[in-house]
Amino acid sequence: MIRVEDLTFQYDMKEEPVLNQISVDIEAGAYVGVIGSNGCGKTTFVRHLDGLLLPTTGDVWVEGMNTKDPDAVQKIRQMVGMVFQNPDNQIVGMSVEEDVSFGPGNLRLPPSEIRKRVAESLEIVGMKKYAKRPPHSLSNGEKQLVAIAGVLAMAPKHIVFDEPTAYLDPSGQERVLDVIKKLNKQGITIIHVTHDMDEVARADEIFVMNEGRIVLKEKPAEVFLRVEWLKELGLGIPKVTELMWQLREMGRHVQTNVFTLEDACIELGDLLRD
Amino acid sequence: MTILSIEGVRRKAQGARDVTSIPAANGISAALQPVSSIPAEDGISATLQPAPSIQYPVSSIQYRVSSIMYKIGQYIPGESIIHRLDPRVKIGFAVVLSILILKGEMLTAATISAFLVALIPISRLTPRHIAKALKPMLFFFVLLFMLHLFFTDGTPIPPFPSWRVTVTYEGLFKGAITTWQFILLILSASILTMTTSPTELVSGIERLLRPLKALKIPSHDIAIMISIALRFVPTFLEEIDRIKEAQMARGANFKTGPFIRRAKSAVSLLVPLVLSSFRRADELATAMEARGYRRGSRTYMRELSMARADYVAVVVMVSMTGLHFFQTPF
Repeated sequence: MIRVEDLTFQYDMKEEPVLNQISVDIEAGAYVGVIGSNGCGKTTFVRHLDGLLLPTTGDVWVEGMNTKDPDAVQKIRQMVGMVFQNPDNQIVGMSVEEDVSFGPGNLRLPPSEIRKRVAESLEIVGMKKYAKRPPHSLSNGEKQLVAIAGVLAMAPKHIVFDEPTAYLDPSGQERVLDVIKKLNKQGITIIHVTHDMDEVARADEIFVMNEGRIVLKEKPAEVFLRVEWLKELGLGIPKVTELMWQLREMGRHVQTNVFTLEDACIELGDLLRD
Repeated sequence: MTILSIEGVRRKAQGARDVTSIPAANGISAALQPVSSIPAEDGISATLQPAPSIQYPVSSIQYRVSSIMYKIGQYIPGESIIHRLDPRVKIGFAVVLSILILKGEMLTAATISAFLVALIPISRLTPRHIAKALKPMLFFFVLLFMLHLFFTDGTPIPPFPSWRVTVTYEGLFKGAITTWQFILLILSASILTMTTSPTELVSGIERLLRPLKALKIPSHDIAIMISIALRFVPTFLEEIDRIKEAQMARGANFKTGPFIRRAKSAVSLLVPLVLSSFRRADELATAMEARGYRRGSRTYMRELSMARADYVAVVVMVSMTGLHFFQTPF
């Protein structure tokens, strides 16, 4: 599990802190959504989780190890994988398999183990047949899948996704989101930063961030009830939930705690039958 | 074809999105506002922009540039015995051959020529592959030959000297030899890169540099640097294309007008390119750090190992060197 205690972070002591007294626990195997408008500190926050940034005050503990401990950093980075927004700028290798082998190589694993992990990771994200391809021949969605495989090859317990679908076309988005779901089912903790409320509708818990603070930690059902408040923060609600609210305004009797397309189908199916 | 054009639309849409975040260079910032105010999130508005007739020539320029870059010794996948040789042996061989060629001994050069020509079919390369590799250098070869031809002192060849121009026998001879040497150099380097994938090439260089650790030369870091540089070449070509389209949409002109003006408009290409490269470098460094990269030793997916064919190749290499010194003791 990851424990964040009283985390405050500022680039410059004279300026306002970018992160202000954040304290959260992330349970192993959970699916956590992190939402917030641009510049609210989402990315800064998640970069603390694997020690890419270190707290100005406060602590981040990963499986009992402090990210400030220089001896633990390598172990923490192995445990907490990170997938970034721009698929192009996180691929190092000249071929897909070489890129996936980068992480395990940094962990100094023996070649036979690296080969095994590369094959397994590419299998999980469905990119095995592209193993020998150069990265520039792939679509952005495929590059992002390769990036995920590169993280998986390090055998992490937790993976942070920092707006992983921002650069992708719809089919790429779907493939990446499917893989994220699959990984969570396999017991990997997911911390998913996004603007798109639809993407985190199935999360176990959502952190709503505003001006460097986590202002709400709740289940999606609780978060998406606060429609007006979310709009004030520059956020929205899932499109199907919005649809339900509008139907209700029109005087239809529908539930508004509907967040996914599947649930909406059931709900509207009932309505149409009436 | 359909897939290709969809790919193009996707790329352009993305270009339009990226461009809004690239600061425009001097003189173009005035035109920035109207373009960046177009909602660029959806690909449609970007592709609806007028003047596709301008965009296509730009793309074709990019493809030409990239194809020239690739033609110089692009890897040609294959299963020949040369392809399967240990990259260290091939790199070592290419270096030794280059030194022998540059020593400029006629007999050695003739031996090497025969050897390289024999390597072509053994590597399952066709004369067309070789022609493709040599063609971009043609201008350089001609220039080299001409320089020697006209600027070497010696006995003039009959109609000369005329119109203050002199061509000498010595010049003709020297020009031919030097040009031949350079053709041999390019040929040996091309056979190396055409039969060795970039990945193998980099791991070969890394292994060869490992003993230099004693001199504090970090072979792993050098290997990573080469690998990243090669990996980003196509990315940057794409980026240049995108920036070019974006600046042309804002009125930049890269094709007509006096040279000075065109040179100036290249600045509007360079500034965003440099800025975006820095951003890329920053993001890449963060991503590498997140994946546990640190200086010092690391392991690789494949370790190289010498097979029998590799030892045979080493013996051939040593005996060719020996032959050279046998012909010209010092």
